[in-house]
Amino acid sequence: MTPHRLVTTVVPLVLIALLAAACGGGSGFSDQGGGGGEGEEAQGPAELQLMVASSGPAEDKALRRIVRQYDEQSDNSVKLNVVPEYDTTLQAALAAGDPPDVFFVTDLRLPDLVEAGALQPAEGKIDGEDDFYPSLKEAFTYNEQFWAPPKDFSTLGLQYNVDMLEEAGVDPPTTWDELAVAAEQLTQGKRVGLVIGPEYPRWGAFMFQAGGAVTNDDFTEMTVDSPAVTTALDYLQQMHDQGHAATQGELDAGWPGEAFGQGKAAMTIEGNWMVGAMDNDFPDINWATTELPAGPEGKGTFAFTVAYAVAANAKNPEASFDLVNFLVGEETMLQYTKQFPVMPSRQSLADDWLQANPDLEPFLKGAEYAHPFQFAPGFQGALDTLNAGIEGLAGGNKDPDQVISETQEAGQQVLGG
Amino acid sequence: MHALRIRLGSSQAFVGWLFVLPVLVGLGLFLFLPMLMAFWISFRDWTGLTPPSQSSFVGLANYRALMLDPGVTRSDFALGLRNNFYYVLGVVPAQTVIAFFLAVVVNQRFLKGKGFFRTAYYFPSITSSIAVSLIFIFLFQRNGAINALIDPLLPTDRINWLDNANGLIHNLLAVVGVHEAPAFLENTRFLGLNLWTWLSGPSMTMYAIMILATWTTIGTLMLIFLAGLQGIPTEVDEASAVDGASAVQRFRFVTLPMMKPTLFFVLTVGLIGTWQVFDQVFAISTGGPQKTTLTPAYLVYRFGFRGSDMGAATAVAFILFVLIIVLTLIQRRVVDPEEA
Repeated sequence: MTPHRLVTTVVPLVLIALLAAACGGGSGFSDQGGGGGEGEEAQGPAELQLMVASSGPAEDKALRRIVRQYDEQSDNSVKLNVVPEYDTTLQAALAAGDPPDVFFVTDLRLPDLVEAGALQPAEGKIDGEDDFYPSLKEAFTYNEQFWAPPKDFSTLGLQYNVDMLEEAGVDPPTTWDELAVAAEQLTQGKRVGLVIGPEYPRWGAFMFQAGGAVTNDDFTEMTVDSPAVTTALDYLQQMHDQGHAATQGELDAGWPGEAFGQGKAAMTIEGNWMVGAMDNDFPDINWATTELPAGPEGKGTFAFTVAYAVAANAKNPEASFDLVNFLVGEETMLQYTKQFPVMPSRQSLADDWLQANPDLEPFLKGAEYAHPFQFAPGFQGALDTLNAGIEGLAGGNKDPDQVISETQEAGQQVLGG
Repeated sequence: MHALRIRLGSSQAFVGWLFVLPVLVGLGLFLFLPMLMAFWISFRDWTGLTPPSQSSFVGLANYRALMLDPGVTRSDFALGLRNNFYYVLGVVPAQTVIAFFLAVVVNQRFLKGKGFFRTAYYFPSITSSIAVSLIFIFLFQRNGAINALIDPLLPTDRINWLDNANGLIHNLLAVVGVHEAPAFLENTRFLGLNLWTWLSGPSMTMYAIMILATWTTIGTLMLIFLAGLQGIPTEVDEASAVDGASAVQRFRFVTLPMMKPTLFFVLTVGLIGTWQVFDQVFAISTGGPQKTTLTPAYLVYRFGFRGSDMGAATAVAFILFVLIIVLTLIQRRVVDPEEA
């Protein structure tokens, strides 16, 4: 081997070795992930990482204040990290085997994270566990374990433009029939009666009201091909067909609340977040909210909720749960939710919250009959198919049977059966 | 003497390696290593929510789910291919022809304010694609500028650009009275979609994205054409003029053949770029309405980050990679840069 050969052979080899070493150190190939959650070493003051999605400037500021309070009263110190593009950031942190100790989890994302072994069960570690609304607690119960305490929640309600309803002499609808009539009477000129997002988290509420659902409660079996779901889809499609209901796209708005605020629609179906949006963007609109109209099988709505979860390999589980307990503790929760339209997830705080937000009672009532927005792991593809189908129903180029059979087929591949 | 030369040679080689070392490390660490890792992941069942070492080997299952197994994964991928095919079919010729035309215009010796036009045409290319997408959302609103401009020319209602899933070919067929698929097209399936669905044509929303993409890329391509045009020696042009060739003849028989290598380059870059369209879809339509703007590159994101299926996501990326290579090779056959 001449020296020249030596150089041309050895240098690349060294390079490759260097690269291999570099990747062994930090690119997530390390094997210790998931197993570090024993927690025997968890003693003394801990430095905790708390990662959350941004909920808006005011909300983030309030959370910072709460974290500072915890810092002052505890030996532990917390580093709060508010990130945009939350799901992507969390996924990268989990894949690297180095997630924050405590982080936000939505009920939709929970099954995926539990199946991946990314979380520690919270069962028995939260004070006043039974104080949470059963429907919310259930949303964070998976494989018969309680994984994460919900920090607050929102439900869907029917928002209406008070002036438009008065002008048309229409009362806020309480049943499907009344809703259809109201939508018809409120449709005038370019204005439609109801603007509703063409997606499962809105149309699904009507499935519940008709006594149907996409899957059974355990997410183990598809139940979308039922007469109840057909009834719900037929009902909504007919309103769209007749021009009494429209999507936000048809009204040139980014989301239904915008079309509602601009007066292009007299009613919409959204959640607690409408309060902040209307106050900021359309403070002059005189609007109110009521419960979603009852269908043939009674009332139904969605609850959207976020919880604080502790990572499976949190360095200090005890301190992490101490922080979570503080964050979802009665005092903190009330302090936070009182400032915002979101509702406390603890039933004992309902009255205090109502005093601060008397107009929002319909949202709170929804908690009694709300369903979680949740599915089995890997269901996203089937959900996308359903959403595309709903867009087709609203747009008038699909029929309910077609949408139901496509969704049924897509879902069965995930769930089996 | 001999020994000296070897020493000199080897130390030169060493210095050479030293100089390229930073780039090699950079490329290796940030390009080749992630590529190899992605290839490895495409054979594994990885959710992306655990360290990849905890995933299990599944052989070709991810590729099978995309190409063979009936299911949403396959039909979504097929829809992505279909949508992107129409996108490429529209954008590549449009951007090439317009960019070439603009390059010829700003290359005119007698044109005044050349600098201004060159800057103006190039401007969209240096603007953030997300920012441009947001502006286009406003332009394409039903009451937006585009509709205000074309409304007097259209017999129909204002077009709902951003929320219209109807395919162009389906629309045209509807005009001549074909509303339902003929049985042959309805029942013949390929990759889980029937031929009628394959032959839909781009949706209105996809059209809007195509216009946007063309508008943003012509600047860069114009610059490349301009460089090519200026590389043509003036003597050649003058000689043909002396021989009595008209302006049209000179363009057709002198300029065009000499631009063939540039043309090939622009077509290749265009083809590769258009098969990877992501940011406009992400900002404008997120794959909707009714999945008519799903593209393979967007599916990578969707499978990986929303569906927690990194295996399928990386498999899509590699199928796309092979597809682009094959198409580029075919194109090389058609537009041979050597045969001028």
